[in-house]
Amino acid sequence: MASNGQIRLFVSEGNPQCLKVLAALEETGVQCGVQCVNHEERVVPFLSRPALPALLLPSGLHIFSSNAICQYLFEVKGQESNQLCNQWLEWEATELQPALLQALHMAVVQGKSSDVFNILQASLNYLDQGLSKQSLPYLTGEAISVADVVLSAALYPFLSDSSLALGEYKSLKAWFDHVAARHSFQSAAQKVLQGKGLQGMKSYMQRQPLPQSSVCRDSQPTN
Amino acid sequence: MALRELSSLEKYLELKKPNKYSTQGDKKVPVLQSNNGAPQVGLVTIACYLVKEAKRSELLGNSAESRAVVQQWLEYRVTRLNGCAKDDVKTILKELNLYLQDITYLAGKQFTLADILMYYGIHPLIVDLTVLEKEQHVNVTRWFDHIQHYPGIRRHLPPVAVLRNRIYTSGH
Repeated sequence: MASNGQIRLFVSEGNPQCLKVLAALEETGVQCGVQCVNHEERVVPFLSRPALPALLLPSGLHIFSSNAICQYLFEVKGQESNQLCNQWLEWEATELQPALLQALHMAVVQGKSSDVFNILQASLNYLDQGLSKQSLPYLTGEAISVADVVLSAALYPFLSDSSLALGEYKSLKAWFDHVAARHSFQSAAQKVLQGKGLQGMKSYMQRQPLPQSSVCRDSQPTN
Repeated sequence: MALRELSSLEKYLELKKPNKYSTQGDKKVPVLQSNNGAPQVGLVTIACYLVKEAKRSELLGNSAESRAVVQQWLEYRVTRLNGCAKDDVKTILKELNLYLQDITYLAGKQFTLADILMYYGIHPLIVDLTVLEKEQHVNVTRWFDHIQHYPGIRRHLPPVAVLRNRIYTSGH
């Protein structure tokens, strides 16, 4: 599929992964055509399930990982992600995302917001400890990096919602408030959540398969 | 599993002294305690670190585009392949088979770290395939065979007979 030498980004409304890439796009100012499509649109031809966001590169290759899209946008702008950035991004994909998906399903589809904190607690602890060990405004230094954008956008639906109290997580709260106040976040959040908070993701989440619950999996007897 | 993989990667990269690893958490995430500063956590993170230590950055891609493609498949490896359920196996093989239809390596024409870690991760799946299943996923098996014969990659893993030469099989 040709893209006429232009980068094209495909997003869908209410999809939490799209918050990351739209915030990264605003933050980096990379020239890129943005197209809002239906949740079910199969933009990436080789994947079995619709995967959004997706970036179509000038070469015709697709990037279907939201984190890799954000890394690419930052690199185009001249900020290649360093070792510490990569580590936070890997943690986000392997540890935080499974917990967030479960928490979103719980809060948005099942309407059980009270369980959200228990699901996210271990991840919030880890992130808060990582932030408090260093006295820097951002995850990897004095300037905002792709790791800050990806992690705070991933957490945005919950942390911008006042029902999740961050009282004991002082470092996490200071960092999130700082990053989320940026214009790029406000603008991305408005596009994805339409000012409806968690409920803005309802129609998207209802179409997602039931997340494999890491909590349930851990409590099952291992053989 | 991740630790043997990292040790094989070190040998492929010809790093002089082997690193010591530990693991953390239920998922046994690998941790590398480097001499200078904070520990490196996670298979992809450590693998990228080793590649840079060996001054083989081309294995991470040689343009912004190919670096993004490499990172994407490394993420796919640790999020989709690690601990995947039986139901996922078919989906993964189908997706990779479609993707590899008209390219040689995961990043296109260039051999990268994505091929190495995907090969290590998918080996247990390929071992279990029947001859028929291998033929159904001919692009994956072609790629797999190519990587297992790539000089210095196979290391700790047994070779898998994946492709029969179709010209001769009919005669047996």
